[in-house]
Amino acid sequence: MKLINIITLWYLGITMAALLVGGFFIYNKLESEIDFELGMELTRQIDAYAARIENGVSAERLQYDKLEIKEIPYNLPIEELHLRDTVAYHDPMNRNEVQLKASKSYKINGKHYRISYYNLVVEADDITETVVITMVAVFAIQLVFIGFFFRIISKKILRPFHESLNAVQAFSFQKNEPLEFPKNGITEFEKLNDFLERMTKKLLKDYRQIKEFSENLSHEIQTPSAVIRGKLEHLINENITEKQAELISSAYKNNERITHIVRSLGMLAKLENEEFEAPETINLSPALEKILLDLEELIAIRSLKITTQFDPMVWLEIHPFVAEVLLSNLIGNAIRHNIDQGSIHIELNSKFLKIENTGVPPTSDPEGFLERFKKGSDHPDSVGLGLAIVNQICKNYGFRLFYYFENNLHVIRILFR
Amino acid sequence: MKILLVEDNPELTQNVVNYLSAEGIICESATTLFEAQDKILSFGYDCILLDLMLPDGNGLDLIEIIKSQKIKTTVLIISAKDALDDKLKGLDQGADDYLPKPFHLSELLARLKAIFRRSKLGGFDEVVFNEITIEIHQLLAKVNDQVLELTKKEFDLLLFFITNKNRVLGKQAIAQHLWGDYTDDLANFDFVYQHVKNLRKKITGAGGKDYISTVYGIGYKFDPLAS
Repeated sequence: MKLINIITLWYLGITMAALLVGGFFIYNKLESEIDFELGMELTRQIDAYAARIENGVSAERLQYDKLEIKEIPYNLPIEELHLRDTVAYHDPMNRNEVQLKASKSYKINGKHYRISYYNLVVEADDITETVVITMVAVFAIQLVFIGFFFRIISKKILRPFHESLNAVQAFSFQKNEPLEFPKNGITEFEKLNDFLERMTKKLLKDYRQIKEFSENLSHEIQTPSAVIRGKLEHLINENITEKQAELISSAYKNNERITHIVRSLGMLAKLENEEFEAPETINLSPALEKILLDLEELIAIRSLKITTQFDPMVWLEIHPFVAEVLLSNLIGNAIRHNIDQGSIHIELNSKFLKIENTGVPPTSDPEGFLERFKKGSDHPDSVGLGLAIVNQICKNYGFRLFYYFENNLHVIRILFR
Repeated sequence: MKILLVEDNPELTQNVVNYLSAEGIICESATTLFEAQDKILSFGYDCILLDLMLPDGNGLDLIEIIKSQKIKTTVLIISAKDALDDKLKGLDQGADDYLPKPFHLSELLARLKAIFRRSKLGGFDEVVFNEITIEIHQLLAKVNDQVLELTKKEFDLLLFFITNKNRVLGKQAIAQHLWGDYTDDLANFDFVYQHVKNLRKKITGAGGKDYISTVYGIGYKFDPLAS
């Protein structure tokens, strides 16, 4: 739900409650005010009639439907003004109506009159109706105003917020630019922007440091490793005995292993740092064909039966180099960890890539091989980073990777979306 | 062939110079950008082996100078900084090839010769060794004028052997030459052995001498003196 809608709903809810309470008070106030005014008016009328009686007008002649003059025993004490509701006949409307009756007694010229005067009261229903109509009108006007102006105003007020949001979404380590925001004069957003600016600066700094570290590490290890390799290559060209050859071979192999691990870890680090942004969409089908062609002799050597089912057009947004690493790792694995006279089946379409191959059944859960240095085979020279790299590539590009063993086949399935 | 090696690590320089000198390649070396600049402006080289991380700057600057001064030479970048954008930048700026460190010396020599052939001979050339003739442009190998039915990899392998003749080639070096860096440890499986075996069979089958010999468990050697 959008912020503006939440605010609007709350605002309307609160307004409605306020209008209800307000309506109740207005109703009460209105009623008592009307009663008071009416009472005053009636008193004035009664006083006027009393004055006319005093001036000698006969009480009987004054009488009409709104006025009732009654002579009461003289010895009764004078009645004070007395107001009450009553139902009385109302002539113009020709029916009984709730009326307000004011009565008071006067002792005039030795006689005691109780003068009562009626008038129509504004009925509770009418007041209620008025109040409700007023309140509903107020509410409706508010609704329109809120609906209209809130949106305009919120757009204006929330603009810096939306700008910040867009900037954060567009933030990329590759661009290597910390976020910067113009001043907007709203304290909360200024605080937020300030925080974002500081955070992105820190992030970029950390990112650079990690990147430099992994690059330096890779460089610092690779140079001596290259030196060792060169020396050993010279050494194997000398006149050596078989025993020496064995030692050299072992040293050489392990140095190769270091090189390979450093390179793979470097690749993983680069993937984790998201250094490979997809600059273009590439067609995966010919890329896969090319890798198969490159490895066809290996497939022939192991007498593997290979079946493929490719859609000719499988466009993916992926860095071409990463695509090559991904595919050659998977196909390479399917060949290496296969058995002679085994088979490989590859399916590629715009939804998924599936590679099924025969091989020795895994001794543990195959999903575990996706982690670093977890190896399926017990081959001592296998480093165990190939699938970790595949896994990381899938994570980077939002692919879903599955690895399972089914019907005596190793199955790798990558869902592209 | 005369080359300039721009590299700040003396041990590595020594390795490369030793290996290439034995092939009759004249090697000069520079340890800094400044020294390299000085040398390329004064002398002519067929190829410059260029490290990118130098004590006084980035090797890519040297390519700029070569271009702006219109110096006729080729550039092979050798760098441990195998950051991909460096590679692309280098090739973009006009480097002829890129070899990430650590490389096999045999691989370096193969690349160097390939660049040399491309630039000097336009790729139309033959490598002749005794009864074996390789027409690189046609991807054709002959033994006594009889065409060998080689696969692409076997062809690459034969050329790699002859380029590095009389040298022991490690299995790893061969695997990397044939399948590239990221094809995870293919060397440790029997693929190299199989390829070498097939190649030997095809050469001897066509009446060629079996020049390739196994060197203990380490690798193979193309021995011109084989009988």
